[in-house]
Amino acid sequence: MKTKAREDNIRKRNKIEEKYSWDRMNDADEERRSHRKRATIATIFVLIIFTTYLFRLYEVQISEYEYYAIKSESNRIRIRPVQALRGNIYDRNGQILAKNVSTFDLIIKKERINDDEVFLDKINEVLPKSKLDIVSIKEQLTDRRAKEVVLIPNIDLEDYSLISVDKHLLPEMELSPKAKREYIYPFSTSHILGYIGKVSDSDIYSDVVNIQEGMTEIGKLGLERFYQNILSGEFGYEKLETDARGEILRTIETKDPRRGDDIYLTIDIELQNYIYSLMKNKEGSVVVMNPNNGEILALVSAPGYDINMFTKSISSKNYNKLIKDPRKPMINRAINGQYPPGSTLKPFIGLIALEEGIVDSDKLVSCNGAYLLNNHKRPFKCWKKEGHGSTDLSYALTQSCDVFFYRISELTGIDTISDKIYKYGFGQKTYIDLYNESSGLVPNRDWKYKMKQLPWFPGETLNVGIGQGYFLATPLQLTLATSSLATAGQTYTPHLLRQIRDSKTDTIEKYDFSNNKFITSYPNLDYLDIVHHAMWRVTNERGVGTASQLKKVRNIELAGKTGTAQVYSLDKGKTDKKQLQDHALFISYAPFEDPEIVVTVIVEHGGGGSSVAAPIARDAIEFYINSKEELITKNE
Amino acid sequence: MSDFISYSQRQYGGISSILRIDAKIFIAILIITFLGLLTIYSSSSGDLSLVIKQATRIVIGIITMIFIAQVHPDNLRLFAPFLYFVTFILLFMVLFFGVGNTADRWLDLYLFRFQPSELMKIFVPLMVAYYYSNKPLPPKSTYLLIASLIVLAPVLMIMKQPDLGTALLIGMSGAIAILLAGISLKFFIGSSLTIILLAPVLWMNMHDYQKQRVLTFFDPESDPMGAGYHLLQSKIALGSGGFFGKGLFNGTQSKLGFVPEHSTDFIFSAFGEEFGFLGVLLLLSLYLFIALRGLTISVKATDNFGRILSGTLSLTLFLYVIVNVGMVIGFLPVVGAPLPFMSYGGTSMVTLFATVGIIMSIKSHQRILRK
Repeated sequence: MKTKAREDNIRKRNKIEEKYSWDRMNDADEERRSHRKRATIATIFVLIIFTTYLFRLYEVQISEYEYYAIKSESNRIRIRPVQALRGNIYDRNGQILAKNVSTFDLIIKKERINDDEVFLDKINEVLPKSKLDIVSIKEQLTDRRAKEVVLIPNIDLEDYSLISVDKHLLPEMELSPKAKREYIYPFSTSHILGYIGKVSDSDIYSDVVNIQEGMTEIGKLGLERFYQNILSGEFGYEKLETDARGEILRTIETKDPRRGDDIYLTIDIELQNYIYSLMKNKEGSVVVMNPNNGEILALVSAPGYDINMFTKSISSKNYNKLIKDPRKPMINRAINGQYPPGSTLKPFIGLIALEEGIVDSDKLVSCNGAYLLNNHKRPFKCWKKEGHGSTDLSYALTQSCDVFFYRISELTGIDTISDKIYKYGFGQKTYIDLYNESSGLVPNRDWKYKMKQLPWFPGETLNVGIGQGYFLATPLQLTLATSSLATAGQTYTPHLLRQIRDSKTDTIEKYDFSNNKFITSYPNLDYLDIVHHAMWRVTNERGVGTASQLKKVRNIELAGKTGTAQVYSLDKGKTDKKQLQDHALFISYAPFEDPEIVVTVIVEHGGGGSSVAAPIARDAIEFYINSKEELITKNE
Repeated sequence: MSDFISYSQRQYGGISSILRIDAKIFIAILIITFLGLLTIYSSSSGDLSLVIKQATRIVIGIITMIFIAQVHPDNLRLFAPFLYFVTFILLFMVLFFGVGNTADRWLDLYLFRFQPSELMKIFVPLMVAYYYSNKPLPPKSTYLLIASLIVLAPVLMIMKQPDLGTALLIGMSGAIAILLAGISLKFFIGSSLTIILLAPVLWMNMHDYQKQRVLTFFDPESDPMGAGYHLLQSKIALGSGGFFGKGLFNGTQSKLGFVPEHSTDFIFSAFGEEFGFLGVLLLLSLYLFIALRGLTISVKATDNFGRILSGTLSLTLFLYVIVNVGMVIGFLPVVGAPLPFMSYGGTSMVTLFATVGIIMSIKSHQRILRK
């Protein structure tokens, strides 16, 4: 019997079956087979992709492992250079000339700056406007490599304490300690020491300086440049682990920097400063050298300039002012000033004539105030209009008679003069330890033809004979030539370095001058005696010597030769008086019997050599003798 | 009386059969989640709070999985249209009320926030399986048209959000479902060509940052500090792992922040850096095992619905792995796709466990013909 419930159940089922029934019945077997086929295809696909991926992973993780391992290391490791302190510079007596002082940069770390505009407004508000270089700050903001912005460089603690009153307005700023170069005598030593500055492209391509990783400052001129590699020391580094934002997590390895070596100069700073004071308001140069070893005791080029300006990044305004200064303070006149030597060349011309057999000690030349050359209408004048009468070589040197030297140089000829004069060091570099030295000029026929496409005229030989015309020499060359006279040909390369103190071992390495000895041959020392005696007469024979008016220096005698070089000023029309005046020159050595120093003085547009240049040399020699005696008594 | 007996009644009871879960898949997943926790712990430099959060999600996921495994596939089929349409409406609401940082993907339901698009990852295959389950073979083209509509409608909605990655994943899982349901190969090739031809249209509708990602994919080194940076850094991490890896807690690339999103989308490179090729091989094998095990279950399933659904879900799971790993090793463009059971994140973890729950339900509720 069918119950009602069962009937209901059947009806319900039928309803469902009606709903889910179709024209064709589902074939369960076929469906299963179809799915199995598709699942198999899918499995194959999955396996293919799986293997492809494994191959790729094998490639990345095993074949290219080295490449990625290196990349990963360089990602996290950063090498930060640690600056080495620059070596100090001392004078020969251990007086400090250049040192490092610690200053501070007022900086802000870049990650602390959220908004550049707001930041600029803020610093304008807080900091004194005069000290801010907004252009440079903006540049640093856009430079992606810079990690911090320097607001004010080289600030001292006093300045900072003034600013820090408002520090609460700009709490992000901090002080970053820094070593700054300071020169004790910035003006008098400017041309010797030079200065340091920011590393530029030309430094990077230069062969003479080592650029170390992280180096920001480098010697630009002078000894700072020449001994850059000694003074700079060795930079250290810190190997740091950083995260992706560049934040330092820990230090992996450090190498301490090696402080730069100190150098001691041959310069006597007392003498240097004294001579610099003598050259005040003058332009010119004084060189004091020990002829027995080539040590330069003083190398003055006046005027000097403030090298300390360069260490705190000189402003372009100040730099332009220096460049455009008519007194040209940035030229090192001692090695780059090329002057006609005037009568100071006469001892050398005389020696050549003696050695060539043109004259001997007795040969007389008559001077009536002028010398006539064939085919020349205008006579060559002697500085003494009334003439010197009959003169021998000694008298001619003592009196600086021009006619005598016109005559002997005409007889010697330009070829012999230009050839022989080289042995005194003219026309070539002295190879002092400074870069960019000028080599002067010894003219000859070839040179003239090359430069002017003209033959050599006989009159030009006469001009060279009295140190005029094309002939040019630097004060240092004249010094070296004079020392050759003083030591009978035993010369040494002029140098400013006396010794180096190794910063690590504290040992001292002395400059070995004997390695740089040069011997000039003097075939007959009697000839040299004639010149020596004449140079003695110049300063000692009262009323005869051109510099005999000089006061005696205590108990020692000095020998010298005056010179007055005529300068053809370019603007003759404009009567700028000073420019029309002659250069005053003086070469000397002392003491006469046993020379210890050679002094060369050149004063541009100074007037007569005897009246202007000689007294400076005399005072320098006196200062030297006094301080030497002081030193002896002190040591006793 | 029914012609079928329940599959589970046939077996002896173990814990897994009582809970109606598949022990093999479950153990594989547990290993993967454990590796994921290790990697998150290591690359966050020992941040336990992240690990606890993630572990909590895993537990919630497991509970969800066990719960869903109890639901009979017939009931799933019954509710499939309802679930699909409700989620569709939610997707619609996201377009108007959605919240999010770069793209509005989230729906704020006061109690919790969630992404309806994540649900669609399950409901699209479910709906396709539902639709095809009672259609006889061979399939007609009208079925295909309707099935395509079922897939494309939510995909387009998600693209509008815009969430290109999820949209593509759902589109592909829909395509897998249709393929498994049975379309002829001719049709498959034809539609593939159509998609390729439609690519320019897709390109025109892409946002700039999406275009940038695609461009970067083709030449990552062109912009090493920009968009290509992520890709390059994750490759460096993977490559520097080598064969044995740098060792646990030694992964510098991920720990120091060079690998972006080292706990989420790029967790694979963080893992590969510390565990090396060996670890990567193990991990991928586990995924492969899950996928193949799922396919086996689908083959054994007794009805069309179960077959299509479990097959699709297993393949979809593997597809996620392919997309994520492919992105890290530079096979595929960078789209925001998490690595299943590894990546740090809540919604995906729960939906993935739910996916596995469905597969397990289909397995444990199999009926066999009474002999």
